[in-house]
Amino acid sequence: MMRSKGRDEGSWGQLLRNRRVRIGFFVLPATAYLFVFLILPMISILIFSFWKTERYVLIPDWNVQNYVHIFTQWAYIKFLMKSVGMALFVSAACLLYGYPVAYFIAKEGGQYRLLLLMLTATPFFTGTLLRIISMQHILGPIGLLNMFLMKVGLPPIQILMYTNLSSSIGFVYLWIPFMILAVYLSLLNFDFELLEVAKICGATPFRAFWEVTWPLNWVGTVAGIVMVFIPTLADNATPLFLGGMFGKLYGNILFNQFGESGTWAMGSAMGVVLFIVSFVVIGIFGKTINLRKMGYVGG
Amino acid sequence: MENRTGARLLWQKVMLLLLYVFLWFPIGYIVYLSFARNSVWPFPPEFTLDWYERLWIMSDFHVGLVNSIVIAVGTGIIAMVLSMMAAWGLMKYRFRFKGFYVSIFLLPMFIAHILIGVSTLMFNRNVLHIQANIYSAIVANATYSISFGLLIILAQLIRYNWQLDEVASVFGAKPWRSFIEVTLPTIWPALFGAFLVSFILSFNNFDVSFYNLGATPTLPTVTWGTLRHGIEPELYALSSLIIVFVLLVLAVLYFLIRFGWVRIGIPEK
Repeated sequence: MMRSKGRDEGSWGQLLRNRRVRIGFFVLPATAYLFVFLILPMISILIFSFWKTERYVLIPDWNVQNYVHIFTQWAYIKFLMKSVGMALFVSAACLLYGYPVAYFIAKEGGQYRLLLLMLTATPFFTGTLLRIISMQHILGPIGLLNMFLMKVGLPPIQILMYTNLSSSIGFVYLWIPFMILAVYLSLLNFDFELLEVAKICGATPFRAFWEVTWPLNWVGTVAGIVMVFIPTLADNATPLFLGGMFGKLYGNILFNQFGESGTWAMGSAMGVVLFIVSFVVIGIFGKTINLRKMGYVGG
Repeated sequence: MENRTGARLLWQKVMLLLLYVFLWFPIGYIVYLSFARNSVWPFPPEFTLDWYERLWIMSDFHVGLVNSIVIAVGTGIIAMVLSMMAAWGLMKYRFRFKGFYVSIFLLPMFIAHILIGVSTLMFNRNVLHIQANIYSAIVANATYSISFGLLIILAQLIRYNWQLDEVASVFGAKPWRSFIEVTLPTIWPALFGAFLVSFILSFNNFDVSFYNLGATPTLPTVTWGTLRHGIEPELYALSSLIIVFVLLVLAVLYFLIRFGWVRIGIPEK
């Protein structure tokens, strides 16, 4: 008994000493997990998008009707374009406000850097649904802002009541922590001495920033844009609670396909379109990244 | 020159301050509302604990809370273990196609949560023929949690001293034992961080969980259901409790890092 157990252990040990087996042991579980529970489901909705739904049931009847429908009905294209526009606008707003803030925290934060950063990140962890509701209580028709205006005898701000603008404020509220985090992390490894060198060589502060800091930290900026763009493009709850009837976006339509209307095939096709659009946009931004130029040599 | 730098700094300070107001005021207002008798215009305040009492006796929320915790713990453990192994493999060994593996691990970051939720629902229902339940919700939530966990653990492992490992094995420690006795004591904060972030994200998750839960209620889905009939003040109480919980956890984490009791990958200069 003892001997056979020992031999077993030996062969196990030998197997584990094999480098490739060891690498596989560490890397393959997560790869397999994501393949089975994420990539296969994504492939499955690609397949279902070419099927059709009859009375809430998917039927394997191959056709491209769903895509024809999406690309010929103005409503779908309109919602898609509105969502892309919204996502681009929100990303730009988060970048415009988030970058200087992240820059300030990274450069001037000193010993309070972690605290200042966590104060921007903590609200994110209270959950998106909760945060949208809390924003609705500020901007909505009976929200704090409009109630205050009413109490002092002023008219409510129409443009903030169930409009795309109030949705976009909600989106910035939700995702600006991501932008700050991404830019901060890239600036953390940035050598601010380079800026001083540029200035000594005669560059104005703006030019030094534009030609040194900005391009060298472009990876973090792109990461931030992606992390804001993706969830905004598909979101359903924010336009529902802040956008109202006329502020519906692509995510609301997508959500309905899997809810009340139960048109699974159509929903799958909409999902595939959403996925492709987000990857095209990420691809465009990704193209602009040149790791070698940015100093990540070899990585 | 000095003057302009001063003006820039002041301007950035104001921006940061305004951002804090923007981020924290709505949350603070919800907490305020949870104690207010009238939620539409609660001024002057008239305080009450009624909403907390009502919450205390509403069984929907209790079931939801337990389910949310189960999902969060399950997701946290799966994400922690898988992302730890992946990060370890990526950092310790040199091998081909590393970029390929990294892109698979980070893929969930590039897929909207609603798509993760919908596609896993369709896959489970039509391919695996599994009814949606709390386990399918755990499995689906772990996908994006692995990406977050991996990034957190990688940030720590970048500073890991690999010679410690060599030393342990030279002294004859089996890999498993050297992991427990040498590696774990130095990198546990990152493991805990990966668990914690996955825990909080999946605890609050709606988009992924909603499709994968079937009839199982969690706090976000009960909240969603309640919102259909308009806001009920119990929700303020519930939200406040969640906010306080998250704040406490992150405050503890902050002080642990700040005073050097634990060290994570992000160096504090």
